[in-house]
Amino acid sequence: MKLLITGSSGFVGRYVVAEALRRGHSVRALIRPATAIADLKWTDHKNFELVRADLRSKRGLVEAVSGADAVLHLAVSQASDLYGVLAGTVVGTENLLEAMRKAKVDRIVLVSSFSVYNYIKLRTRSKLNESCAVEAEPEKRDNYCLTKLMQEDLVRAAGTEYGLRFTILRPGAIFGKGHVWTSRLGIDLSDRVWIRLGAWAKLPLSYVENCAEAVVMCTEKDEAVGKTFNVVDDETPSQRLYCRQLQRYLNPRPHIVPVAWSLVRTIARIAWFSNRLLFKGKAKVPQVLSPASVHARFKPLRYSNQSLKEVIGWRPRYSLAEALDCSFTLETAEEVDLNLKANIPMDE
Amino acid sequence: MKPALVKQKGTLTAAVIGTGQISEEHLKYLRDHNDIFLSAVCDLSPAMAKFAAERYGAEKAYTEYRKMLEDLKPQVVHVLTPPHTHVGIIRDCLEAGAHVIVEKPIAPTHEDFEKLWSLARQKERLLIEDHNYLFNDPILKIKGLVSKGVLGEVKEVEVRMVLHVREKGSRYADLNLPHPSHQLPAGVIHEFITHLCSLALHFMPKQERYNEKGFDRITAVWNNHGGGELFKYDDLDAIVIDQGVHTRLRFSSSTWPECFTVAVRGTKGSACTDLFQPYLHIELPRKIKQLTPVLNQWALGWHLVKRSGRNFLDKLQQGTSYEGLSRFLQGTYRALKDGSNPPVTFEDMDRVSRMIDALVAQGRGE
Repeated sequence: MKLLITGSSGFVGRYVVAEALRRGHSVRALIRPATAIADLKWTDHKNFELVRADLRSKRGLVEAVSGADAVLHLAVSQASDLYGVLAGTVVGTENLLEAMRKAKVDRIVLVSSFSVYNYIKLRTRSKLNESCAVEAEPEKRDNYCLTKLMQEDLVRAAGTEYGLRFTILRPGAIFGKGHVWTSRLGIDLSDRVWIRLGAWAKLPLSYVENCAEAVVMCTEKDEAVGKTFNVVDDETPSQRLYCRQLQRYLNPRPHIVPVAWSLVRTIARIAWFSNRLLFKGKAKVPQVLSPASVHARFKPLRYSNQSLKEVIGWRPRYSLAEALDCSFTLETAEEVDLNLKANIPMDE
Repeated sequence: MKPALVKQKGTLTAAVIGTGQISEEHLKYLRDHNDIFLSAVCDLSPAMAKFAAERYGAEKAYTEYRKMLEDLKPQVVHVLTPPHTHVGIIRDCLEAGAHVIVEKPIAPTHEDFEKLWSLARQKERLLIEDHNYLFNDPILKIKGLVSKGVLGEVKEVEVRMVLHVREKGSRYADLNLPHPSHQLPAGVIHEFITHLCSLALHFMPKQERYNEKGFDRITAVWNNHGGGELFKYDDLDAIVIDQGVHTRLRFSSSTWPECFTVAVRGTKGSACTDLFQPYLHIELPRKIKQLTPVLNQWALGWHLVKRSGRNFLDKLQQGTSYEGLSRFLQGTYRALKDGSNPPVTFEDMDRVSRMIDALVAQGRGE
């Protein structure tokens, strides 16, 4: 297949490109005009093509999309303010979908996020799967949750309006080389001191190469059309266990300050109540003091990848131990992707 | 999200074109005032138009402003699009019979402004540019001190803005999709220069007559200290002298911290403020001459203690430096309803526009 991949130079995107090439697809990577590509190792691959465009502008998008069999949409805004995120994530998706319609490309795999679920409504230790409700008031949560939901709505609307064949993937906490910390652990005050908020909550980890494989496999399988899947690995370690495993690799070892989940939840509740009482709910408090965010990040839940396994036959290729080895020991992400670890031969 | 209102008798119908960041301030005002009926919002992006319409209770969302004008015939239109698009959109709104409230700068040149003003007069519509900082608390207080003669005769005005527009992550420094303000005659600084000029002119004497350039003397040094192709200028240092009043306008993108200070110095005293971290520092002669500096410092210290607490609470409650915008809009809508003077007059806009033209001309070496 010929795949257009947005966000190709990002953390997940570069693994998705590598995985798609490895599986024999042709890749057209959409990369923003000023993004440096010197550190991308797959740009010389015979099945690789680079196209420069910014999704916030319609300029050049139809040409970029034309001829692709499917679009893998991973691009996401890094802006910190709401309107920056709206432009990068929502308007960007809107422009991409319009270009796809004009270019008559009718297949998209959207990489959304676990953050869209309504965690506060979930019962502690219940199972989070694709049938769980999404956040009803995303504006009160955070910009990321809001814009990811808007992005999903746009894709679904395109499916209804003009038959776009879509698949939505919601990865959990994606980790890999250079990205082993997850905000679901707590607060990393510095390299030396971590405040762990909670202990026993399972982490919905998704090793970046496992996730990349799921993204590409969904593109290949017609059974995935119209479906939404959570992407998490088989092993979902507790916060405590994951912290311990990270400590083994890190030098100097970070000192961990544990705070119980019940205390975190109580403090957030007090903060919410005080905000209502003193500021009529207008005060902007840090996320660790917002009940909705605290529940989204630290609530003890169980996670399932059953649906993804059953429908497309995906299995996480790397165990947690192997994934951590890959994350800490190999030289570069691209070497991991293309040459050293892969069991699947490259089509070169 | 607010449900769309039903238009009540006697209310003005308003529409908004452009749903970027500044629209939030305008739309909050329109949402919170029941004497204004928000009939529609318009944006090139359907998702953004829908988002703003749902969030602020607009009845409809459009992606084509001409169609919106034709369908709804709003009485007031807020033009909040990037500055380089203003002229065409304002013209169409005026032609459609709408009063126009527009974000700064109203037009890229004084000539364009005059044409728009002429059209507004011909159509008997109000055309008003947002000079919101004139209505922030500290500026109103300084204006009060000047009006009452507490500061004596104003001799110096200094307006200084520091914005890190070149910082990594700033929308103005984005090389992938250059910000529209780079297309203005003075580039990014042109986006902010209306604020600098309107504040300076607020405290400068009214002009009885215009000389060719509008001011007795004007010197502006424009620089691009950071270099590169994207920025035309990232630094402005200008002196304007008119009727014996010295005014300094300063825009910097390299110093720290970000600030927006206004200082007014008169023959009897001086006052200064920072509109980003509001406080008001007033220096006046005290009864005991020898203790004047000390007493002024004590007064400042006490004021800073009080003000820092209030600023903290404001920040906590997501307060912004746009506090003057609601007063500006309130005055504008009052003028539309009862025919009173608008908060920003033709003379105000005209002088600002002339000053900007004169400053920009210096950059071109004219």
